[in-house]
Amino acid sequence: MPSCVDFLRSSPFFATLCADEIERIEKEIIELSFRKGEVLFLEGESCRGLYVVKSGQIRVFKSSPEGREQVLLIAKPGDSFNDVPVFDGGPNPASSSALEPSTVYIISKETLLSLVADCPAAQAIIKVFAKRLRHLTTVVEDLSFRRIVSRLAKLLLEMAVVEGGSSPIRRLTQEEMAAMVGSVRDVVSRALRDLERAGAIKVEKQRILVVDPQRLREML
Amino acid sequence: MKVSMPEIDLDKCTGCGDCVELCLSHAVGLVEGKVTIVSPADCNYCTDCETFCPNDAIMCPLEIVLLKDEPERPLEEQKEE
Repeated sequence: MPSCVDFLRSSPFFATLCADEIERIEKEIIELSFRKGEVLFLEGESCRGLYVVKSGQIRVFKSSPEGREQVLLIAKPGDSFNDVPVFDGGPNPASSSALEPSTVYIISKETLLSLVADCPAAQAIIKVFAKRLRHLTTVVEDLSFRRIVSRLAKLLLEMAVVEGGSSPIRRLTQEEMAAMVGSVRDVVSRALRDLERAGAIKVEKQRILVVDPQRLREML
Repeated sequence: MKVSMPEIDLDKCTGCGDCVELCLSHAVGLVEGKVTIVSPADCNYCTDCETFCPNDAIMCPLEIVLLKDEPERPLEEQKEE
């Protein structure tokens, strides 16, 4: 069984660190074990740190309000997960549970961030990547769990601005809307009619008027 | 509100004339082998020309506008919330 230091050295996060830095991290590592099926953390909770699988397998997943799940990652020994909230400062973007009896190392946010503390540019760039990755998990969630009408409702809520306000009015073709919600033009056209029938929007010549944003939110 | 017309990419237009045949308002025509909005006043912006163009040469973007004031909900709906 490799030592903790050897294990850390095999991770891309720590492979280039000097002996002193590895030793410091090793002292601050928390080791936890989980039974099969046990939850490590939930989506939305505060981030405890970066998790690295020492043994076993961990399932990282998103859940819908109805209880459906979309697995994003099966982490095996040596794999890390929950990287995103460490670097973008947000809550856990997904939940995780043990697929089998597993042991993980947890390295705190503060410890990880200290590795790039002397390079603000690297911190800023990593934060941008982390935010983009978080956004992609949201896209996966939308595509997996939301129906087309719901995805279109979300898109319209995000895009709609008041006429004459500080933000420019967004213009999209139905083809572009289809690409953004992962569908085709005809389906988007029908979904717009559904939203209009529900009283949430009004489709006028050349524009979609969001007349009842609350009703749109109810359709998410 | 500024009145927009369907946007035509002349590089993509092959002059096939499908949009001219399909346009119920007769707003679209071929001029020198390329599609043009020949009668803007008749254009209903139905977006059929965009749908049926085989070369994606026509685009009918829609503005997405938020109504300034949210409509008042009937009292029964407010109470439910």
